[in-house]
Parts: sequence; C-alpha cells; structure tokens
Amino acid sequence: MTIGSMIGDIVESLFKKPVTQQYPFERKEAPERFRGRVHYEPGGCTGCQLCVKDCPAYALELITIDKAAKRFVMRYHMDRCVYCGQCVISCRFSSLRMAHDEWELAATSRSPFVIDYGLPEDLATLHGTEAEPEPDACRNV
Amino acid sequence: MEAKEPKKFIVPIGPQHPALKEPGHFEFSVDGEIVTGASIRLGYVHRGIEKGTEQRNWIQNIYLLERVCGICSHVHAMAYTLGVEKLAGVTAPPRAQAIRELVAELERIHSHMLWLGVAAHEGGFDTLFMYSWRDREVVMDLLESLTGNRVHYSTNVLGGVKIDVTPELADTIRKGCDFLEERLQHYLRVVTTDETFLARTRGVGPMTLEQAELLGAVGPTARASGVTRDIRIDAPYASYAEFPVTVVTDNGGDLTARFVVRIKELFESCRVIRQILDNMPESELVAKVPRRIPAGETISRVEAPRGELFYYIKSGGGDRPERVKSRTPSLCNWSTISTVAVGHKLADMPMLLAGIDPCFSCNDRMIQIRRKGHEDQLWTWEQLRRYGIEYYR
Repeated sequence: MTIGSMIGDIVESLFKKPVTQQYPFERKEAPERFRGRVHYEPGGCTGCQLCVKDCPAYALELITIDKAAKRFVMRYHMDRCVYCGQCVISCRFSSLRMAHDEWELAATSRSPFVIDYGLPEDLATLHGTEAEPEPDACRNV
Repeated sequence: MEAKEPKKFIVPIGPQHPALKEPGHFEFSVDGEIVTGASIRLGYVHRGIEKGTEQRNWIQNIYLLERVCGICSHVHAMAYTLGVEKLAGVTAPPRAQAIRELVAELERIHSHMLWLGVAAHEGGFDTLFMYSWRDREVVMDLLESLTGNRVHYSTNVLGGVKIDVTPELADTIRKGCDFLEERLQHYLRVVTTDETFLARTRGVGPMTLEQAELLGAVGPTARASGVTRDIRIDAPYASYAEFPVTVVTDNGGDLTARFVVRIKELFESCRVIRQILDNMPESELVAKVPRRIPAGETISRVEAPRGELFYYIKSGGGDRPERVKSRTPSLCNWSTISTVAVGHKLADMPMLLAGIDPCFSCNDRMIQIRRKGHEDQLWTWEQLRRYGIEYYR
C-alpha cells in the first residue's frame, strides 16, 4: 500500500522540456500515409464513375466534356470529403491520389472548397459555358 | 402529495451537464447520500445510421458504419466487412486478416488507455488521467503512421484491407509496444496499490458472476466478474484462430477488478501484436468482391474493446443492403448500472458510470414496440415537424 504513487512521474516531468509545439511556427510533419487532399490526374481516366459511386460523402462529381475523346473534369467538394481514401482504391487507372502534406485546408467561406481538376482547355470549356458553382450548390446531394 | 407516501428525493443529471461528456439522462433517487434507485434515459444522439445504410451501396456503408463509434471505429467496419464477405462467399486473404487483427488490437490499446484516463479523472485522480493520456499518444501515433489517420482508420475494404505493414513500420510498432508495456506495468501498480485511489474503487459496484450473467453484461465489465466470455476466443474471426489471445478474468467484480482486467488485456494485446508482426503471412491484400451481393442474411460478431459487437446484415441481391442492424456493447452494459448502483453513495456514481466504459452515441438505436390493439402510425416529415413545434411550445 502506498500513498502518492505517481509523485515520481511528476518529479521526473519537472526536469523535462515541454512537449508542446509552437504550431503555426513549427509544424510536425504528417506521416507518409496520412490522407490529405485528393488530387486527380485526367490522363488515364476512362470516366467509369466508380469513384463517384463509391464516395461515402458524395464529394466527387465527374463532368463529361467529350465522352468519345475521354475528356473529363473532376469537381472535388473538399468540404464534404471525409478523407477515407476509398476513391483512390476504387480507381483502376490510378487517376486519383491523396496528398499527405496538404492538411491545412481551412477556409472562411465555402467557395474555396469546390475544386475543379482537369486539362486547362477542358476547364476553359467548362467555365466558359457554365457559371462558377454557387456555394449553396453543395447542399444538393 | 399525500403525507403517507414515502418521500423520495431525486437527483437528475443530464442530458446537458458539465460533468457529462456525452448526452444522457440519469435519475438517482437518494436517501440522504445513499442511492436507492437509478434510471437511465438514452436516445439524445440518435442519428439514424441503420436507416442510412439502406440508401448507400455496400462500399459506402463501410465508412458510414465506421462512424457509429469514434473510439472503436475499426471493429465496426471489420464486423460489417466480415459479414458482407460471408454473404458474398469470399474470404479475405490471410495477410489482410492478420492486418485486421493487428489494427483491432492497437485500437484496443488506445481505447482502454482512454478509458483508464477517463475513469481516473472521474475518481479525482487527474495525475493518472494526464499521464495515461500522454502515453496514449504513442499508440495514436502508431495508428496514424500505419493507417493514415488517428481516429477513422478506414483500413477495411470489402475483401481485404488497404494498407500493408512494412518492416520499418513493424519495428516502430514493436518499440511502441515496449514503451507501452513498461508504462502499463506502472499503471497497474498504481491502481492496485495506491491507497487513496483504492478507497474510491475497492468494493465499489460489486457485481457477482450470477448478476453479470443475468443482466447480460459483456466484455471487460463481465470478465471482471469472472465471466469467461470473449468472442475472440469463443468464435474466432479474422486471424484470431492463427494468432489466439487468452482470456483475462478477475473474480473481484468491483471497480478495481475492472481496472485490472482492462490493463491486463493490454499486455495480452501487446503480446499478440508482436506475434502477428513476427509471423505475418505472405499473400495479396484484397480478394475480389462483386458489387452486387447475393441475396441472404447473416450475422457477424466481433469483440470490440467494450465487449461483443453484433451485426445483422440482410441482402436482397442488389448493390445496397436491405437491412443492417448493429448491437453495440455499451447498450448491454447499461442495465448493470441500475442494479449495482443501489446502496452506494451518490459521489460514487460518476465512477460507476465510467466503470462500464460507456459510449453514448453507440447506444442510440430506435426500437419499435408492437403492442396489441395499437395500430402502426406512419408520419410524414411535415406531421413530425408540426408535432415537434407543438411539443416544445
């Protein structure tokens, strides 16, 4: 039977440096497997839509520019994404990947969260014919 | 009130209360300081997840069900994927099964260490709370570097797992286990010898073997009363047949026994983690599962950190389930509280509640009670809304 059996731990800690990091000034690197922002490479995409069907958060939209020429624009709703990584697994052509170092994704409005990925000319076609998505458009799931 | 009626004083706690981390409503009737009766009301965080599964496909549901519980997210996804694989007639490759067990045991370490801190905090032992949570960061970091996230590991896919264990990662996990084992030995010593703390736990909330069986207790709560029941041993799933664990029981039945059982389980987890890492089977990670699951129904049971987790899955042959039902361990353990609480001091209630390691949002399911002579009512959203406005007016 003892009293104060954790005093040893407290005394030991007195002689240790604080472990707190001064966050915005020092950053701890995220592990290699950390699941951050999703990136899309239009190169291999065949438009099979498996990533869209399997996304549990309905965060992906594949907009067809020209089906025969296999040209697509991926609209990624970063605010809906739950970073589970299923889209990366579902893609058979390795068109999707998750960046481990992009995790500071906060913003003060919803519009920066709607991201279009695609070839520059496809993006121009899309944005020429279609207005910028309204921030409220995210609600129509 | 009539003068003849015995006077009862009821102490209501919650659903919003500074001492509760999650919403639940408790009513303790007291005679002076001694509790004479306890009742519990849950349901404040019902989220409709079971219904939600019927509107999502088999793959989307893994991630929805993972969110039933934030602490034991992996076991929920594992129970569901094991069930769906059974329906589809597919067995995940041995390496995938071993990785599932590895993550499940790491998760058990983090869950029990979280509980150790919370239970110590409820007993007023904040030093133990702070230090056990500091050490828990070690296992959280291991899980993050292994799976890519601290809480929702998203390790499971239908037919296998997403992640592999590299030799470097295996070494990191071994080192982490060495550190944790040393610290856990220290904590085991603290909770069994510290006189001030034992005064709060020894003899508090004793539950006999018969009571535990009768009240349907599960997991470490039951095992602390001497019930030798553990799904990992009784009905091995994943790779628990190849890498078995031994059941840890204690005959004390009080809070001290629950501390001892949970900490000793972690030594067992560390041992089996080393065994898996040393004998990792070689195979691919994913077996192919069709997008449409053949019609049928199945059950799937796994041992979550809190006890037996049960899933019922029914498929109509389509790309989404017809029904998914889950029974979480916290719900089974609640009924022990109202029996065990009687005769204890009101000040012991927070520790007794924490003693079963309750997870509130896991509990909240909707049940329909069919009584004779009562017609089922179907309400539209509009009617429900109007009813809600009237109710709170």
